[in-house]
Amino acid sequence: MTLSLILWLPLIGVLIIGFFPNPVKTNTLRNITTLFIFITLCLSIYLLTQFNLGISKIQFTEYLTWIPQIGLNYSLGVDGLSLPLIFLNGLLTLIAIYSIGEKVERPRLYYALMLLINSGISGALMADNLLFFLIFYELELIPFYLMIAIWGGEKKGYASIKFLLYTAVSGLLVLAAFLGITWFSGSASFDYADINTMALSANTKFILLTLLLIGFGIKIPLVPLHTWLPDSYVEASPATTILLGGILAKLGTYGLIRFGLQLFPDTWKLVAPGLALIGTITVLYGALVAIAQRDIKRMIAYSSIGHMGYILVACAAATELSLLGAVAQMVSHGLILALLFHLVGIIERKTGTRDLDQLNGLMNPIRGLPLTSALLIGAGMASAGIPGLVGFISEFIIFQGSFIIFPIATLICIIASGLTAVYFVILLNRTCFGKLNNKLAYYPQVLLLEKIPAFVLATLILFLGIQPQYLTRWIEPTTDHLIATLTPINVEIAQK
Amino acid sequence: MTQTLTKISPSNHEFADIIHRLEAGGSMLPDTPENLMQIIGIYKAYAVPMDFYWRDLLYIAEKVFLNPLPFFKYFLPQEYLDLKNHYAGDTADLRVWRGCAEAHPELINFIEKGETIKGSKLFHHLWHDRINMEFAEACMRAMYWHGRDMGMGKFDSYLDSDEYKHNADVAIKAYFKGNPAMLGLYKLFPEMFLEQVRQLSYYSNLGLFWEVMCPVFYEMSDIYDEGGFKDVSDAMNFLVNGIFAIAGRPIYHHVYIDGKCYEIISKSKGFTWLYEAALPYVEAVFYRTSPFRGTKSYNAQAKQVPEHQKDFHYGILYADVFPVGSAGIPPTLLMDDMLHFLPDYLKEYYQKNCRGEDDQLIQLGITFQRSMYNVTSAVIQALRTALLYPLDDENPKHLMKNRQFFEAQMDRFKRPEARLKDIQNPDYR
Repeated sequence: MTLSLILWLPLIGVLIIGFFPNPVKTNTLRNITTLFIFITLCLSIYLLTQFNLGISKIQFTEYLTWIPQIGLNYSLGVDGLSLPLIFLNGLLTLIAIYSIGEKVERPRLYYALMLLINSGISGALMADNLLFFLIFYELELIPFYLMIAIWGGEKKGYASIKFLLYTAVSGLLVLAAFLGITWFSGSASFDYADINTMALSANTKFILLTLLLIGFGIKIPLVPLHTWLPDSYVEASPATTILLGGILAKLGTYGLIRFGLQLFPDTWKLVAPGLALIGTITVLYGALVAIAQRDIKRMIAYSSIGHMGYILVACAAATELSLLGAVAQMVSHGLILALLFHLVGIIERKTGTRDLDQLNGLMNPIRGLPLTSALLIGAGMASAGIPGLVGFISEFIIFQGSFIIFPIATLICIIASGLTAVYFVILLNRTCFGKLNNKLAYYPQVLLLEKIPAFVLATLILFLGIQPQYLTRWIEPTTDHLIATLTPINVEIAQK
Repeated sequence: MTQTLTKISPSNHEFADIIHRLEAGGSMLPDTPENLMQIIGIYKAYAVPMDFYWRDLLYIAEKVFLNPLPFFKYFLPQEYLDLKNHYAGDTADLRVWRGCAEAHPELINFIEKGETIKGSKLFHHLWHDRINMEFAEACMRAMYWHGRDMGMGKFDSYLDSDEYKHNADVAIKAYFKGNPAMLGLYKLFPEMFLEQVRQLSYYSNLGLFWEVMCPVFYEMSDIYDEGGFKDVSDAMNFLVNGIFAIAGRPIYHHVYIDGKCYEIISKSKGFTWLYEAALPYVEAVFYRTSPFRGTKSYNAQAKQVPEHQKDFHYGILYADVFPVGSAGIPPTLLMDDMLHFLPDYLKEYYQKNCRGEDDQLIQLGITFQRSMYNVTSAVIQALRTALLYPLDDENPKHLMKNRQFFEAQMDRFKRPEARLKDIQNPDYR
């Protein structure tokens, strides 16, 4: 019942917002949205407390036969893979609500779309049925498209269409793979429990896995399927970017593990070296292109591409530790990226620019944005993997777990994590330090309402960096179980 | 201005508008009620800490003197708080301010209570809840350092004279009488002690300069409160008149050791306030000073610091308001000092602009910059009066000489760091 509440409460919120009598204040709509998202967040925390750490399989299952003729059932459940991401979804939606500033155009539609996004992502993460997953996976496109197209920047039309095309192709490829999996394996329904790919031929499995890899690879995104991301991230409002980078992109890596690794364990060994190579290229490409950027939002967008590459390398290595690191990285990257985009949003709102050549001296205690700058430095440190912060934990686990399988790729990733420090030093040095421009620096103050989300994220980043077991304890049983089925393959690759 | 312009053609200078305003008897600061309110308000806020500065500068020059461990040099004794200003009160030589000759009541109150809680002087000192003499000392050092180079007056060259050295030697020996260690050191390093005494002479110089400025600013504030000033040029003219009234005030350095007065620079030397204190002060402090420590790294080898001292441009007329609000550098401390004594109307004004109370320090820093442009205007007009011709002179050649003088003065603000352009804009806060 809890999972259904998490899924349906935001949709009830959409109806309330939609039918709320006019005239209605933006604050009222925001408060309604906050209330519903806060309840779903509390429910996800409740799930975390009730989650049985001794069980590696799906828990809190809810099942209703829906359209048996096509194998579509209302099947929900969570495990260590999805539960932390459901929590992250609730948290980041709450953060995103307060990341757009005081004034919102067309607030009714805006907040309704936010609730839809939250519900859609929760649905995809909780779905226990391939088709059910796909419905939510596809459902996300429309609200995100509208969010970029309506509340985006100058090139919002171009960015939103590009986003729509890329992710629609992603959805089609995943749909093709899901249909192939179900039909070729002769499963009675799309339920995970009914799917068995063992009987499929090696070629079929390879083709289906490739479809999934490309489909989810677009969503993650991996180089060279990434070109929608910088445009979408840069043109979208900070709130949309937080949701795009913080949680939507994670659906890609989640899908890769849930369907790629879990459904095709034996084919995984064939693609693993290639995946590691693509992951490494993604990491290096993201970092190097980030260094060359002048727009801080675009810099962070490329940084995000690079960091998602770590997850791919870890998934390719598929050891207990690397997979644990991959899921931990999804959460930590979501938190850090959300903080970075939230702070960049504040900077853009207050200074009117994101240009590294114009921003300077924001650390100035009186006329600058000292707290925002301080938190930006913290977020940059977390992203660069400085010990004591959550970014270090997840990256360290990934490197530790992946090294045994792909030592060269891992070493390159470690070097690339050094490049993260390079572009963050450039970013911080240009924006936070130096001298404020006398003529430009009449920036408005950062409001408490804008500070609170940043404080919450920063606190979590610090807390999970010091107490990482609160991040890994829910993930570990599931990833351990997943890897248990792959162990012979890992050994095989390691021996090669 | 119209009269001048009809006699000579308009200036083609970059700051032609400002030059025409000066020719009309105005100030470099635009004549607006808002500017008048700001500068008078800040004069008042500046005058109260200045009341402390001049007293303490004289205390250090006269009593602390060469104390090798001057831990308590900022702990002004009652004697110096009660010291009578020569330009205020009933005992004044020339009464500029109608108020009392002793330390201002607001200053006494602040010394006792501070901004936080009533406590001992030591507590307030360590808590930095006090008047920050560091600013005054920075000004003094600027005068001392640039004094060698400015070629103004005769005060600085006198510090190298045999007479001065002899007077200093007598005072040093008297001060360290019965202290063989310090006398031995003096024997070994006489120049080091002499250099310290020269610096102390500048303490006295600046103290005597500010002793005058303090009541001037108090009086301006009182006149403004009574509705006496109509515009910025009224305020500037008050300063010009004040400058001439007090121009001849002697600048000296006396030291009191065991109750005996040692005249290191006696009043009879004829060093006067205008030429030996006011003009060098404006040149050294308003224009030149030196790069503020702790805010920006200057690479002298990359020629980021001018080769010649005359080209230094770090004074308040060029000051960047943001370093002022950063590290604990002297100008920040002055802003902090003034913050304690802001008149209510200025507080309300700052509250309405920018970040209100949160960036008052920056706002008042810029007001201070505006007000110092007005003081500099007064000095420029005073110099023009002393050296050139009246503004209403009938002879076009004379007016052209005035024009050349004003243009030469404005040339100093052509460099990009100068804030002359900025202060023309009311939104520069």
